Amino acid sequence: MNVLTPRELPELFAALAAPGARVLAGGTDLLVRLRADLRQGRKVPSSLVRLDGLEELCGVAREPDGALRLGAATTHAGLLAHPLVRVELPVLAAALADLGSPPIRNMGTLGGNLCTASPAGDTLPPLMVLGASVELASAAGVRRMALADFITGPGRTRLAPGEIVTAVLAPSAREFAVRHFEKVGRRSALAVAVVSLAALLRLDARGKAVEARLAWGSVGPTVWRCPEAEAALLGQRPTLTALKRAAAVVRARVQPIDDLRASAAYRSEVAGNLLLRLAAL
Amino acid sequence: MPKRHAPSLPPSPPRADALAKALGAERYAFDARPEGCLWAGAFRPGALFGPEGGMAHGRVRGVDTTAALAVPGVLRVLTAADVPGANLQGIVHKDQPVLCGEVLRHAGDPVALVLAESPEALRAGLAALRADIEPLPGVFDPEEALKKGAPQVHAGRKGGNLLLGAVIEKGDARAALKSVPVLVRGEFSTPVQEHAFLETPCGVAQLLPDGALQMTVSTQSPFRDRFEIGHALGLNPFKIRVRAPHLGGGFGGKDGATVQCLLGLAALKAGGRPVRMVWDREESILAGYKRHAVRLRYALGAERDGTLVALSCRVVFDTGAYAHLGSEVMELSMEHAAGPYRIPHVRVVGRCVYTNNPIAGAFRGFGVAQVSPAFESLMDELAEKLGLDPLALRRKNALRHGDENCSGVRLTGSAQLTDCLDAVAAHPLWTTREAWRAGAPAFTRRGVGLAAVFNGMGYGRGLADMAIAKLELTEAGGFLVYNGVPDMGQGNSSAFALLASQELNQPPSAIGLVQPDTEQCLPSGSSSAGRTTYTYGNALLKACAAMRVKLLSRAAMALFCDNLEGMELLPGMVRHRPTGKSLPLAAMAGFLSRDDRVCVAEALMPVAQNPPDTGKSFFIGFPHLLFAYAAHLARIEVDELTGRVRVCDYLAVTDGGRVLHRQGFDQQAQGGVAQGLGYALLEDFRLAEGRILTGDLSTYLIPTALDLPDIASEAVEGCEETGPHGLKGVGEVGLNGPAPAVGAALYEATGARLRDLPFTPERVLTALRKKPRRRRT
Repeated sequence: MNVLTPRELPELFAALAAPGARVLAGGTDLLVRLRADLRQGRKVPSSLVRLDGLEELCGVAREPDGALRLGAATTHAGLLAHPLVRVELPVLAAALADLGSPPIRNMGTLGGNLCTASPAGDTLPPLMVLGASVELASAAGVRRMALADFITGPGRTRLAPGEIVTAVLAPSAREFAVRHFEKVGRRSALAVAVVSLAALLRLDARGKAVEARLAWGSVGPTVWRCPEAEAALLGQRPTLTALKRAAAVVRARVQPIDDLRASAAYRSEVAGNLLLRLAAL
Repeated sequence: MPKRHAPSLPPSPPRADALAKALGAERYAFDARPEGCLWAGAFRPGALFGPEGGMAHGRVRGVDTTAALAVPGVLRVLTAADVPGANLQGIVHKDQPVLCGEVLRHAGDPVALVLAESPEALRAGLAALRADIEPLPGVFDPEEALKKGAPQVHAGRKGGNLLLGAVIEKGDARAALKSVPVLVRGEFSTPVQEHAFLETPCGVAQLLPDGALQMTVSTQSPFRDRFEIGHALGLNPFKIRVRAPHLGGGFGGKDGATVQCLLGLAALKAGGRPVRMVWDREESILAGYKRHAVRLRYALGAERDGTLVALSCRVVFDTGAYAHLGSEVMELSMEHAAGPYRIPHVRVVGRCVYTNNPIAGAFRGFGVAQVSPAFESLMDELAEKLGLDPLALRRKNALRHGDENCSGVRLTGSAQLTDCLDAVAAHPLWTTREAWRAGAPAFTRRGVGLAAVFNGMGYGRGLADMAIAKLELTEAGGFLVYNGVPDMGQGNSSAFALLASQELNQPPSAIGLVQPDTEQCLPSGSSSAGRTTYTYGNALLKACAAMRVKLLSRAAMALFCDNLEGMELLPGMVRHRPTGKSLPLAAMAGFLSRDDRVCVAEALMPVAQNPPDTGKSFFIGFPHLLFAYAAHLARIEVDELTGRVRVCDYLAVTDGGRVLHRQGFDQQAQGGVAQGLGYALLEDFRLAEGRILTGDLSTYLIPTALDLPDIASEAVEGCEETGPHGLKGVGEVGLNGPAPAVGAALYEATGARLRDLPFTPERVLTALRKKPRRRRT
């Protein structure tokens, strides 16, 4: 297996055009899968093309429209250490702080987390409530699309052959007074989310919600939104009573599955319960 | 009474292995990779298709080796027909084939062994192998396995699927339970637990030109391994040399053959080349031994003042496909089933049953960790029923020196559980518990629980618990301790170095260690049963005493002294104090022959005299005489929204006799608690029809540093008069406390008694739903 480290995008696209080439971002998902493939005698890529030699894919910058541009090959630890991410995207920072473990955060990248498109991907619910979009590039050019459109199913995205994610564009959440992320895993580190919730509430002067954005991880094939629960919170102060009403809507609508980590019943219950935490913020 | 205050020793030096391990310089069996070695790997077709497919019971119709042999770099593919000896291994019962030729009895059973030039060729060879296996109906529940018509795991075996039925009885529990004023009952279950040692089973082996087989392997029992290998492969055990360097963890999972017989077989067919075998994590989980899952049914009766009167307990053990140490583990369970308490009437009935589940065996807390959650839960329930303080109830009934325990054994050794309980009672974590509980934040409930536990030491009656220490004065004037019991990380070899340094009055740097090697060291039993430091330590003290006398008398001769009066052993020399004349040890080593520079001494652990007239069906191991005790306290927070449990504070107070090395003592307590907290809260080993669903460490979750609190370890000052400098083994007792302590804390927090381990968030949330209101105490 060849491992290539292109320094320029054209070089990268040329490398990816070779048959059997695969993108290697942080490798925290890919290498685990390759090991399993090797162990089972399955075919593995002929070359891995690293992204970390491309400076333009790394770092955080301000876009003209005020959104933050997060380089897709920036590591989770790199994002977490960035003051703009901490101040303007606290829901994302909270998710990054809970992702994997220090070594995983030092290797894994934001773009990798999106392209893996796991139903349990820790950065997905916060980026969804932030209304993030992705920038994609290939030899054919650059395009942008909403993250919600980019991820189409578990492990599935709209990434075309030879195309990579170059950046994530995330609008600031500063206008939202209530910002919350919580991940429920089976342990405190190195755990796949059993349920996660990202929540943003914009409040008016009287403390009533004028906008509610809620997104859950690990309760469906992709991030799950619940417009009915969001609507139930509008015009309300985020009191326990109001949140309990919205939680009941969530429990009635969410349709998670059973797996090794938790039953569907537990996930439904907790998907609703997590909303109540907003009352204690 | 044992002495309460032994003279204190100087502060302990760092562990003898600390520097080498911190530098990464310590060589484990895993690091043995001789030049030109071949790679061996087992083909385990029952697990071929991942959790969705595979089978745990089947008839082997054939193994097609053609495609595998065609893989470049694959040298040999061996099957059962190539095994020269009995092709059976097992510590007590020889019922486990090295390679299965007829029947697969669990998903991890091997049917072929591949020898290849490289790991890549080995992988390709294993992937190319095909086995023709006819599925057989399996049995996966021990109680189902005992029913008439159940599939037989070992067809034609007398006794069917029942490996062993046993009774331990004292007094008349059945009659007493009918008339007790207060009775509590409960059914409990404890799960399979995976050892998850850092170093998976591994080793290298080579057949030498003279026909001797030598092996360096990650093992807890190098001396016994020779007999296992010899029997299975038809070799003379005394022509097998086994070396056991430091292990990267064992916890019982390397007590017995893992890679040994497969490696030996591979070496026999390798044309004299060395062969290496390393199980990866998945293979280790698939084929390795586990903690037995147990079902327990209990009744406990008491007087109204809390005096315990009678206990009845029935346990059903799932030993999996092979006997391994099933009967022996169940023996310990039954012997500890009534807890560390005085109870006049006790009846414990056990059945150990074969199934097509993975093989169960030894695991730190050997059978005791399975019963402690049950007896302690019932003690709490009893305390509540009687309106008594749970700590006071335990203290009232706690076994003391001189008492007769629940198997009818008179406790002639040290037994200071009451001191452990007193230390908990006086600790701020206990005295401030009410205020702490009241300060729970939003959506959080707090609970504080305690547990009193114990753990027997040594092999028990019927199997001499002996060690033979060997000590050499080196040519340089230092000393070498030839350790006969592997160091899995518990620090026994460091303890030996410390003992030798103290006894011989030499600086730590003058003491070297030879790790177990059946050629250089002497048989000293397995690294297990809380016996390593106790038994070998006693032998070593004798060897040191003999060495001291030897050196003084040889020096007396050279210094023209008439007798040993006034002769003293000092660092690096022997001196005649009255005259000031001295002789360096290096000089003495120069004129002593090798034979004369060596001292050998043995020690035997005492056993119960006049053993009680019960437990007759145990071939070995019943009863035990010496026990370590501990009282544990856990403070936990339960999240009402998710059922997640956070252990906030933990205290372990341990009676391990006199403490030789405080750091080592604390590490044993803390390590046991960490593993016990995993058992209590996280480790959820899942099976479906004998197939392992949690086959790696991303699905089988053990605690991380973030899942554990700081663990306070305290020692009660004691002295076990038969132990080396008064110590008892403390390797296991720490694992037995967390599950009951956390269970008690959960009850306080939720009002529900959880009786099935582990206490997963899902079980806790369900309990909270049933008991929605906060319990007030």
